[in-house]
Amino acid sequence: MARAERTVEDRLREEYFDLLPDIRRVTEQLETEIRYTLLVVSRHLRRHERLVVTSRVKDCESAIRKLRRRQEGRSFEAEPPERYSLSALNDLAGVRVLVFPRGRISEIDLALHSVFEDWEPDPIQEDGGLLAYKYRGYTRASPTVKGEYQIMSILTGLFWDVEHSAMYKPEPRLAGIARHIGMMQRTTEVLQALKAFEEQFEALIPSDEDA
Amino acid sequence: MKTRDMKQHLLDIAGFSYNFDREIYVNRETRKVFSVEFVEDHDAKTLEECIREEIRENGWHFYFNHVPSDPVRRDLEAVLG
Repeated sequence: MARAERTVEDRLREEYFDLLPDIRRVTEQLETEIRYTLLVVSRHLRRHERLVVTSRVKDCESAIRKLRRRQEGRSFEAEPPERYSLSALNDLAGVRVLVFPRGRISEIDLALHSVFEDWEPDPIQEDGGLLAYKYRGYTRASPTVKGEYQIMSILTGLFWDVEHSAMYKPEPRLAGIARHIGMMQRTTEVLQALKAFEEQFEALIPSDEDA
Repeated sequence: MKTRDMKQHLLDIAGFSYNFDREIYVNRETRKVFSVEFVEDHDAKTLEECIREEIRENGWHFYFNHVPSDPVRRDLEAVLG
C-alpha cells in the first residue's frame, strides 16, 4: 500500500511533541527564576502599582504558523525536509512581565539583566518608541529550546492579550489580518493612546512625599 | 496622511486586495503580488512605481524582498488561480 507523503507540517508536528517536555521545563524554570528575582521589587510596590508575571507554552499549531510566517508568501518548501525546525523559534517557552507604572520597567529590566546577562536583547519598537523589552536565551532546563521573556506596561500587554484571544485565537487563519498595513497603523494608534493614558495617569499620582 | 495609510491608499486605489492567509496584496487584473514585507520595507514612492510598472511577460509578477523560489512561486500561483 502506498504511504501518504509527509508534509512539512507533519514533520514539524512530530518535532513539536519531541520538544514539548523541554518546552515545559524551560517555561517553568524561566517563570520561577523571574518570579524569584523580582521578589525584591514586588515587595516594595506602592498600593496602586502592579507587577504581574505570566507564562505560556506555545501550542503546536501556533508554532508552525509562526515558522511559516517567516517565509514571504507564507509558503513552506517541501525540500529539503530539514530546512525548517521549530527549535529556530525563540518563544516556544515564554514569560511576560507586566508592569504599572512604566517607571518601574527599567528597574525590572535591570534586575532581570543581572540574572540573564548573556541573553540576547531584541526590543520591540514601534515608530521609534520602545514598546517592550524582549530577551531570549537558554536556561539550564534545556540545551535545545530557547526561552524568551518580555517586560512591558500592563496596558500594552493586556491589549495584546485581548487582540490575540478575541480576534485571532478563535480563527487562527485571521491572524494575517494583523499584518494588513491599515490594521498595523490602527494598532500603532491604539498603543500610542494606551501609552498616553498611562503617562497621564502616572503624572497625576501623588509621590510618596505628597501622599 | 501617515505613511502606512498612504501605502494602503495606493494599494486600494490600484485595485489590490489583501490575502490574509498568505499576507500578500494581490491584483488579479495586472497579475501583481506584493508581500507585506516588501510593502513595509519600501517607501510609498517605490511602491507607487512598482504599481505603475508595465509588465510585458505573462503570468504573475511577485514583488518580494527575496525572489520566491520556483516551488514557492508554484504554490502561490496555485492559490491565486
